[in-house]
Amino acid sequence: MAIFNSPFFEIDKSETKRYAGLRQSEFDEKIIEEACELARLIIHPTGNWEIYDYDDTSQTIASTPPFHIQGESIKKHLMGCDKVVLLSATVGQEIEDKITSLFKEGKYALSLILDAAATSAVEQNADLMEKAIFEKVSRQGYKMKWRFSPGYGDWPIEQQPEMIRTSKADIIGVHLTESMMLEPRKSITAIIGLYIIEGNCTNEAEKHNCAACDKTNCLARK
Amino acid sequence: MIHIFDGAMGTILQQKGLLAPGYCPELLNVDRPEEITAVHQQYIDAGSTIIETNTFGASPLKLAHYDLSERAREINIAAVKAARAAAGDKVKIAGSMGPTGKFIKPLGDLDFEDAYENYKVQAAALAEGGADYILIETSIDLQEMRAALLAAKEVTKLPVICQLSYSEDGRTVTGTDPQTAAITLDAMGADIIGINCSLGPEQLVPIVKILSENTEKPISVQPNAGLPQLVNGKTTFPMGPEDFGNWAPKLVQAGATYIGGCCGTSPAHIAAIKDALKDFPEPTFKPLRRRLMLSSRSKTVAVDKELPTVLIGERINPTGRKKLAAEIKDGSFLSVKKEAMDQVKAGAKLLDVNMGVGGIDQAKAMKKAITEISQLTDAPLVIDTSDPEVLEAGLRAYPGRALINSVSAEKERLRTFIPLAIKYGAAILCLPLTDDGIPKTAEERLKVMDIIISEAKKAGLKDGDFLLDGLVMTVAADQYACAHVLNTLRLYREKYGYPATMGLSNISFGLPNRPLINSTFFAMCLAAGLDAPIMNPYDEQMQNALMASMALLGKDPNGKDFSTNEKNLSVPKKAAVAKQEDLAPLEAIKQAVIEGNADAMPELLERAFADNIDPNKLTEKALTAAMNEIGVDFGAGRVFLPQVLLSAEAMRSAFNIIKEKYPAKEGEGKGTVVLATVKGDVHDLGKNIVGALLENSGFNLIDLGKDVPAEEIVASAIKNDADIVGLCALMTTTMTEIDEVIRQLKESGNTSKVIVGGAALTQDYADEAGADFYAQDAVIALNIANDIISK
Repeated sequence: MAIFNSPFFEIDKSETKRYAGLRQSEFDEKIIEEACELARLIIHPTGNWEIYDYDDTSQTIASTPPFHIQGESIKKHLMGCDKVVLLSATVGQEIEDKITSLFKEGKYALSLILDAAATSAVEQNADLMEKAIFEKVSRQGYKMKWRFSPGYGDWPIEQQPEMIRTSKADIIGVHLTESMMLEPRKSITAIIGLYIIEGNCTNEAEKHNCAACDKTNCLARK
Repeated sequence: MIHIFDGAMGTILQQKGLLAPGYCPELLNVDRPEEITAVHQQYIDAGSTIIETNTFGASPLKLAHYDLSERAREINIAAVKAARAAAGDKVKIAGSMGPTGKFIKPLGDLDFEDAYENYKVQAAALAEGGADYILIETSIDLQEMRAALLAAKEVTKLPVICQLSYSEDGRTVTGTDPQTAAITLDAMGADIIGINCSLGPEQLVPIVKILSENTEKPISVQPNAGLPQLVNGKTTFPMGPEDFGNWAPKLVQAGATYIGGCCGTSPAHIAAIKDALKDFPEPTFKPLRRRLMLSSRSKTVAVDKELPTVLIGERINPTGRKKLAAEIKDGSFLSVKKEAMDQVKAGAKLLDVNMGVGGIDQAKAMKKAITEISQLTDAPLVIDTSDPEVLEAGLRAYPGRALINSVSAEKERLRTFIPLAIKYGAAILCLPLTDDGIPKTAEERLKVMDIIISEAKKAGLKDGDFLLDGLVMTVAADQYACAHVLNTLRLYREKYGYPATMGLSNISFGLPNRPLINSTFFAMCLAAGLDAPIMNPYDEQMQNALMASMALLGKDPNGKDFSTNEKNLSVPKKAAVAKQEDLAPLEAIKQAVIEGNADAMPELLERAFADNIDPNKLTEKALTAAMNEIGVDFGAGRVFLPQVLLSAEAMRSAFNIIKEKYPAKEGEGKGTVVLATVKGDVHDLGKNIVGALLENSGFNLIDLGKDVPAEEIVASAIKNDADIVGLCALMTTTMTEIDEVIRQLKESGNTSKVIVGGAALTQDYADEAGADFYAQDAVIALNIANDIISK
């Protein structure tokens, strides 16, 4: 178990713009800045990770009890891995409540961008956790696959309960609703495959690639 | 004198087959001490002058993995004995303490005090066993290093070596740069400061250099044998002894005098170091000028007469601020956090933190404030209190080198504050004040300052640990108050050369137009030798005075910053995109909606009303027309959702004003829409956006919220005689609920048109579920709704 609450001082403005669907277009930077600063004040970033052995032939994570992976995309993604990191991260409930209350007050754009800033923050939080994980696993010669979450490709989100269990997300206060939604909403669970190949152990965990995703009308598609 | 450490222990034990899976490597100290001694002997034979005990993971918290916490003392003592058997009295022994494997709060869940107790046990046992040094190594968290260093200092008198591990970006994983490490650890009393693991010698040369430029303490370095590689399924380190040895002179040149190896190094590597340094000349170091340096976890700020002025933000202080005091009292700290961020944005380089609220546990509040603020900003902190207990709580929690505000010549203050400054490596803000009161003239103040500085130096503080307060009194009460301060500042600089600070605003108390007095006084003080004012960084007049003074005093060479600051450039304000006053009222309103300019609405509508424009025409020709235009641009990818929402805000503003002016028009909406996110789904931002567009386009909106059961949606559609039912589901797990709502609606005989949308939905799904329309985005939903009503 390794709880890690990454220190970070600023929320990425360009990612926030992307999640808000703004792409490269001109937009009042003041609102972006206001949202990112407000977000930084009211997020409570935290995360936890667990490392397990992984059996590539039976697609099984050696947790107790074991976790059998379903979905071709994730199985393919984890091919060649012999360990996996189960990660959960959140930025807490307070920002979610603020997004709702701002919209009610008629501050639609700020609310939308705050929502995007929260998404950006939870991803930044996970990125920083990845950096700390890499520091640990690279010493054993492991490389990391990019983090993969239920819902990517054909990995059914019905596996979220297993993700919650094996990443021990309850430690950081993240749980599931009956319909498999994470609460607080701005939370993620993810798996990172660890693999060993000959050569230098630099981090090659490439980012999740928008082109590989079949949701072509996504607001934040790059 | 150059000292040579040993290399890796674990790999040799592994090669000897001594480490069975699940066996604790440190238990070998007890079970097979002769094997440990044999490894030490190999390194001594290779030339090591300091060997490290096999106790990297022998702290109680680490031993807990093997259920061996209770045996920590025994294992550590045995390890030193095994080392001594090889070392004799010629070679020194460093008792190794590795990381706990956990992050300390607030970065992780390990309490600082638990880490501290953990290292106390280990350090005491290593000392008891007879180690010559305590070596804290491979730490990636400055706070963990601080806990271990405090513990080692508490229970032993041994010199302590502090080695952090840096990543390729030159910082530890938790953000500490080598300068900050050097400043913080030197001040806390580390005896040797260094680096080990993670990187090879090549990458560590520049880090050694930065360390040696920031401390006069000896520097130690123990690199890995290059960056790890995988060969034949095993992690290996590629750098051979000869290459490794070749780096040794470069490490010495960079400033290291203690050199060894970490992962992947062997006795042959150590022999190569020894060989490479055989004829290498003894390094000489010129003394550093100790400047006042303060640090947070990840940044160092210097305060010095030769450097630009450093603003100390004074706003985190509840004195006279009811809201802030109340928040500190109820523990929410939101305004504290906001003040921290805003002051840094306004240019503060250090933040003063005062928790002086009556009736609360101020020590607890200080710890919380320090912890929260240091997660939000990297500006070093100033702990502002008169209570030693509050001070210690803040200093202990702070992962950096803080400034203490303040130490006077009052006996009790000297007695209680100075030892805390030394223990936690803090600098002190010296206030020339005695038990008898405030000295008036500069000469008298200097006498008091002499007492404070000599007491502090007697106790162990050094140059670079002092910031001197000019002590500002009110000019309305003493006509020479300003002159005294200016003289004091000059004398401070002449006599000590230490940087000076003060709170400024007291000078103008009781006078009119205080901002003018304050900023003029500020400029005078800057000229006389003020280096770090404690002030309100939001005060524009003071900021202006500072900017001008920097140019005048040569700290902004040739006024370069001054000339490029936009405040000083008389550029005409950017012309508005379309001058609304030049347009006809309807066109101007339409333009304002398209631009999302809600603020312009009251005035523009007033003009429209004055021209007796019919409200229906206003809605149709200006507002709806604008929304249509935006919709087209959105569909074409020329504008994006946030811009559409700004326009919706402008529409909202316009509708509210129209409604107020013509209340009779209320309820005469285009049609009624019942909107809901279906049961099981808690995502409602998309649904809210649709709602906002509909409502601000004149629809009568009934928003049922999120997670709404089918029965409730159907009942509402019937009750309100809805024209349209809008349903939203984001996830594949919840979209099936849409089928259920549509089934129940049809069963009830209700004839409202159903529009569905949400991330997981598709046209095909909508068709199969029996929806009338599928809306891919909010603008399409609005267009569909308009079409339905106009038919």
